[in-house]
Amino acid sequence: MDQNERKFASEVFSEYYKGAKIEIPKIEQREFGFGNIKKIDARHLSFGTREEFRKYLVNNTPLFVSHSASYYEFPSGTPMVRKGFLGADLVFDLDIHAEGKYGAYEKLEAVKSDAVRLLKDFIMGDFGVKKENLIVVFSGNRGYHIHIRDERFRSLMGEERRELVDYVMGNGLNYREFFSLSDTKPQRLLGPTPSEGGYRGRFAKETIRAVREKPSTISKTLKEDKLEFFIKGIEEGNWSRTSIAYEDVIKRLGAIAQTLPVSSVDTDAGVTQDLSKLIRVPNSIHGETGFIARVIDIANLENFDPFNDALVNDKKSIKIEFLEDVPELRFRKETVGKFKKGDIAEFETPISMFYLLKSSAKMR
Amino acid sequence: MEELDFATAFPFSEGAKKYISNSLINEKVIEIAIERIKRGMAGEIRTTALFSENDKIEWIASFATARMILGFLKNSNITNRFAVTESKIARSMLDKIDEKTVERVGEIFGITTINDGKNIIIDMCAFLKNSPRSIDYKLINRKLTGGRMEIKASEKRRLIEEAIRKRIEIIPLVKDPPQEIKAAASRIDALVPKSSTTVVIKVDNHPPCIAKLLEGAKNHINLNHQARFYLATYLTGINVSEDDITKIYSDLPDFNDRITRYQIGQIKKKGYTTPSCATVMTYGLCCAVCKIGSPLNWHKLSKDRKEEIINGSK
Repeated sequence: MDQNERKFASEVFSEYYKGAKIEIPKIEQREFGFGNIKKIDARHLSFGTREEFRKYLVNNTPLFVSHSASYYEFPSGTPMVRKGFLGADLVFDLDIHAEGKYGAYEKLEAVKSDAVRLLKDFIMGDFGVKKENLIVVFSGNRGYHIHIRDERFRSLMGEERRELVDYVMGNGLNYREFFSLSDTKPQRLLGPTPSEGGYRGRFAKETIRAVREKPSTISKTLKEDKLEFFIKGIEEGNWSRTSIAYEDVIKRLGAIAQTLPVSSVDTDAGVTQDLSKLIRVPNSIHGETGFIARVIDIANLENFDPFNDALVNDKKSIKIEFLEDVPELRFRKETVGKFKKGDIAEFETPISMFYLLKSSAKMR
Repeated sequence: MEELDFATAFPFSEGAKKYISNSLINEKVIEIAIERIKRGMAGEIRTTALFSENDKIEWIASFATARMILGFLKNSNITNRFAVTESKIARSMLDKIDEKTVERVGEIFGITTINDGKNIIIDMCAFLKNSPRSIDYKLINRKLTGGRMEIKASEKRRLIEEAIRKRIEIIPLVKDPPQEIKAAASRIDALVPKSSTTVVIKVDNHPPCIAKLLEGAKNHINLNHQARFYLATYLTGINVSEDDITKIYSDLPDFNDRITRYQIGQIKKKGYTTPSCATVMTYGLCCAVCKIGSPLNWHKLSKDRKEEIINGSK
């Protein structure tokens, strides 16, 4: 981006921040970090009030804005030990790694479906977090963040949070231990029921769904009446209602167990367990895309489309010239591109800004 | 249980304070405190029979005095050993007392449970904060619904034991105690064997998970069973001698030379090999994305790749 383009982006950012709904609970206890070259060029900053923070964003328009999940007595203190740790939100970062600048976007739907599962099955189901104690945020680029602001989790330390990461990622999951043999005669294969919580219940539910959809999951010769008999057994915790050897039943369901964890939780970034990490400020703009890291209404999460719902509201038309080949994308529910190097096009501000910030185009 | 007996058995409780508030640090109490620290260093899990009210009060005071000595000494090795032993002794008490009293001790640490007649139910955060980091206590192997989970009565006691250990380990710094405390601290310090390990703990010599365990041992962290087993199989796998492994383990708060040597011997005799990275992950000990399959493959990596992994794990 040249100076002119940076100025253009700054003006868009500044205009947006004037009215943006940025609500950070206990803002005075948070550490902030800002970046223009890297995602975080400077950190250990703090703000006393929401207005003070807004003023900073409007005047300085950093490309990347992050805050700590942690609460501190002295958020701008250095080194970290001097900050006086008071607790931290529990944050999950779902991210996708893909080849090239644009590779991740076709996988965003898959990450979103992981986010929905993580939210509903794990966070609200297993962990019992209430809707009012959490927010779901589009990361502004390749994934989603879930911030849990439930008092119960606030005092958990890194290792304890790591346990939660292991839990959702299925590290150490041994579904074979869900099963046991009864001491009755004839012996029965006892297993989880769909009414149970956690992985056990999910495994039973997913098995029922899978065998209904594709009976060959368990046996190629399973007829419909036998199938329902088998399913009825699972509902009662009796997995024996089939002529298949018990060991084979367990073995054939291994693939189902592998689908249960949420694999796109980003453990590299470690934001869940590393209490010193910073996370993008909800409703701030992501400097690599110009997308708003939008707080999403949970009821609309499944329909959320960043290429429509995370765009800043600026209808001005901006002409750009592409500096490289760019694949087809869908903005505002319409196909845009693909483009070849040297192509010239004109779009509304957020779309042009997207290509400029990705260094795929220059202003004309 | 009578108030004084409760305070004697669990001297970290709030109630214990009222028995020692007016008590002076006298020669006898200091001697008991020194014995108590020595008992901690040796890992002797034995209780002391106390009969008179005065003996009990002195015993409670000796706990506070021992903490004062340790707070001045600032030796994490001794402090952690003391904490492990005291928590194990408290655990032996927990195994003997009635459920209601166990509940009372649990409440000190926020470990409250509901007994629905069939199961003991605990909040998952209370469980996470106080469970030992071992495979048996991994959340994934539990029935977890709505933030609550089932535990066994013995597990509840184990959680309390862990909470006691953690509480005792945190000792505030005592800068300028009375002369008698300083003298007692010198006597304890003189008993500390000066250990020196021969394996160089240089981060890029070992995978990040092993480096973390070696640093943990050096800092007298009470590593769990899986961590000790993994570390021993790894060190055996890279041909570190039994003596050197024992030296590394001698920094652990509950070190026992005989048991350590026996366990290393068993690892060699039974041919236990270093677990794969997948297994290490199930132990909850993986802390980086190395993608090397086996921790032993670390030594086949280029220097640049090692650095890349180490930087990524920070």
